[in-house]
Amino acid sequence: MKRIKILLAKTSLDGHDRGIKVLSLALRDAGFEVIYLGKMLKPEEVVKTAIDEDVDVIGLSFLSGEHIEHTRKVLRLIKKEVQKDVLFLVGGVIPPQDIKKLKRMGVDEVFPAGSLIEEIIRFISENVKIK
Amino acid sequence: MKERRYGYFSKIEEDRTWSGYPVKVFYTNDDIRKKDKSLPGEFPYTRGIYPNMYRGRLWTMRAVCGFGTPKETNERFKFLFKEGETGLDVIFDIPTMTGIDADHPDVRDEVGVQGTSLCSLPDMEEMMDGIPLDKVSSSLVITSYASPVILAFYIATAQKRGIDIRNLRGTIQNDPLHHRFCGYPEEFTPTELCLKTATDIIDFCTKNMPLFYPQNINAYDLRENGLNAAQEIAFSFAMAMAYIDACLKRGLSIDEFGPRIAFYCSAHIDIFEEVAKLRAMRRMWAKLMKEKYGARDERTMRFKFGVHTAGCSLVPQEPLNNIIRVAYEALAAVLGGVQSLHCCAYDEPLALPTKESARISLRTQQILAYETGVGRCADPLGGSYYVEYLTDKLEEEANKILDEIMKRGGMVNTIKSGWVQGEIDRSAYQYQKEVMERKKLIVGVNIFRSQEETKPLPVHRISKRKKMEQIRKIKDLRKKRLRKEVLDTLSALKEAAKNDKNLIPYIVDCAKAYCTMGEIMGIIREAYRMRYDPLGKLKSPLK
Repeated sequence: MKRIKILLAKTSLDGHDRGIKVLSLALRDAGFEVIYLGKMLKPEEVVKTAIDEDVDVIGLSFLSGEHIEHTRKVLRLIKKEVQKDVLFLVGGVIPPQDIKKLKRMGVDEVFPAGSLIEEIIRFISENVKIK
Repeated sequence: MKERRYGYFSKIEEDRTWSGYPVKVFYTNDDIRKKDKSLPGEFPYTRGIYPNMYRGRLWTMRAVCGFGTPKETNERFKFLFKEGETGLDVIFDIPTMTGIDADHPDVRDEVGVQGTSLCSLPDMEEMMDGIPLDKVSSSLVITSYASPVILAFYIATAQKRGIDIRNLRGTIQNDPLHHRFCGYPEEFTPTELCLKTATDIIDFCTKNMPLFYPQNINAYDLRENGLNAAQEIAFSFAMAMAYIDACLKRGLSIDEFGPRIAFYCSAHIDIFEEVAKLRAMRRMWAKLMKEKYGARDERTMRFKFGVHTAGCSLVPQEPLNNIIRVAYEALAAVLGGVQSLHCCAYDEPLALPTKESARISLRTQQILAYETGVGRCADPLGGSYYVEYLTDKLEEEANKILDEIMKRGGMVNTIKSGWVQGEIDRSAYQYQKEVMERKKLIVGVNIFRSQEETKPLPVHRISKRKKMEQIRKIKDLRKKRLRKEVLDTLSALKEAAKNDKNLIPYIVDCAKAYCTMGEIMGIIREAYRMRYDPLGKLKSPLK
């Protein structure tokens, strides 16, 4: 079976990347192919890489409260440009009130700070739309 | 994963500290190898930097504050003072931290969200409105990159009010190497430039602002990035040594600026380990200053520090439990002899603190100070076999790491080679693995995880309208100010930068002419042959 390919990135100016880097390593050790693209990226850069690398999962991490605006921008680009049915995840410091909102916008799942990595692994394995 | 039972017949199975050091069931005098007989206030200050500690003066109580506009932040300051806060602690948004103005087209989403937006002198005046700058100690939490401009705004605000800057008290972070592992890319915060301006600030303050601490070594963010207690000591000391070397090279003597170096440490959840860490830091610092740098002034040898309780130890599950975590961490800081304490608000893993949560974080300190009696006696854990053993252990482990850093060429080189980042990533992953393997237990996360949903707390959000107000305000300022003054002061700054002069007085002039953060940093960048706008959109006013 083809290995599941995951793209992780941060799009805001915020530099808190401990969570997403640790997650990258943990997902790699769990057998996924992981690209951690870095931080301070433009939504266009993330989506372009997702297409070029033909990833199955995109994950964004936020801390500073700009998760709604940034997620909206990335989602818009995904809908417009990505042919494939990718799994789109968001994580970080996100108030519970916003989780439903993000899901309504089209995020497949939200993993707020304090989520266990095993839950993330399970979710990806069970829900990835890989053929 | 190992399944464990909690409940009847439960027992302590974790036989290591949070930093991974094995712990015996009990300790005796035989476990203490260093026979440190010093008293509080005596070299090497293991037991505290003053003989009478909190009987002489309580620690300064601060709550980190900064969000939205300078005006909103000012209102929160006033609220906190009314509730008994004794010092300011202001944090800035990411555009400000990266020296970019609020009206830059690429940063609008981030204005005011992670701290206050502060772009100009009127912003600083508004934020400090009604605050007696000659009495209050202000802690300015800002990147080293933007430190010279924030300091200049602060100085200019005081001078416009007729306050002698010799009376200004407080500290500015001004910690240039800190950028390299705290999320700011080299392009935005160039190391060489920051080392230069950091030294300018120390040089300027040493001569003009004797009560101000011009550098606050940020051990805290190192720890928050995933390092353990001994690494927190070693990496922060190695950073301090890099700055000291730069100041000595500039011709300052160790006892000129040494007394004004302060640290900003973490207090994590393992109480005794944290107390031991702070005691070890004092002992190590005193010896380092005396033996390596030949300090003679006792004030240079005294390790002065603030503590911020560990934000990374807080979790969003059942968030009220964080109040308890913060209280234990604050206790460790006080038992460790802290000079200034900042307690996290319990809702920080969810959003910015609300007024209510900020008040609780302040009350946590007040209960410690006035009810519990823990501050009555200096170094109350001194002589505890276990804590003395741990103090020795932390010192020994930190020294090993410090030797390794020095062997690899010091902090600047180990950052450049990527070794530091490697160590941070390795440690952070190790920490998370231990959480996954239930070797580190976090209530509500990997044990006693409730299936019930907790009622969502009220969330503090940044108003879009206020954000737009701030953006409009800076646009208006650009129209209203005298263009000639702006260009003249910016040109003078550029000349000074090209001739490698101390830039602080020139930046103060720019501030008074209402030049903005983005313009001032942009012109300095240009003088150092970088593009004016780190985001590559704006043009220099001097071209």
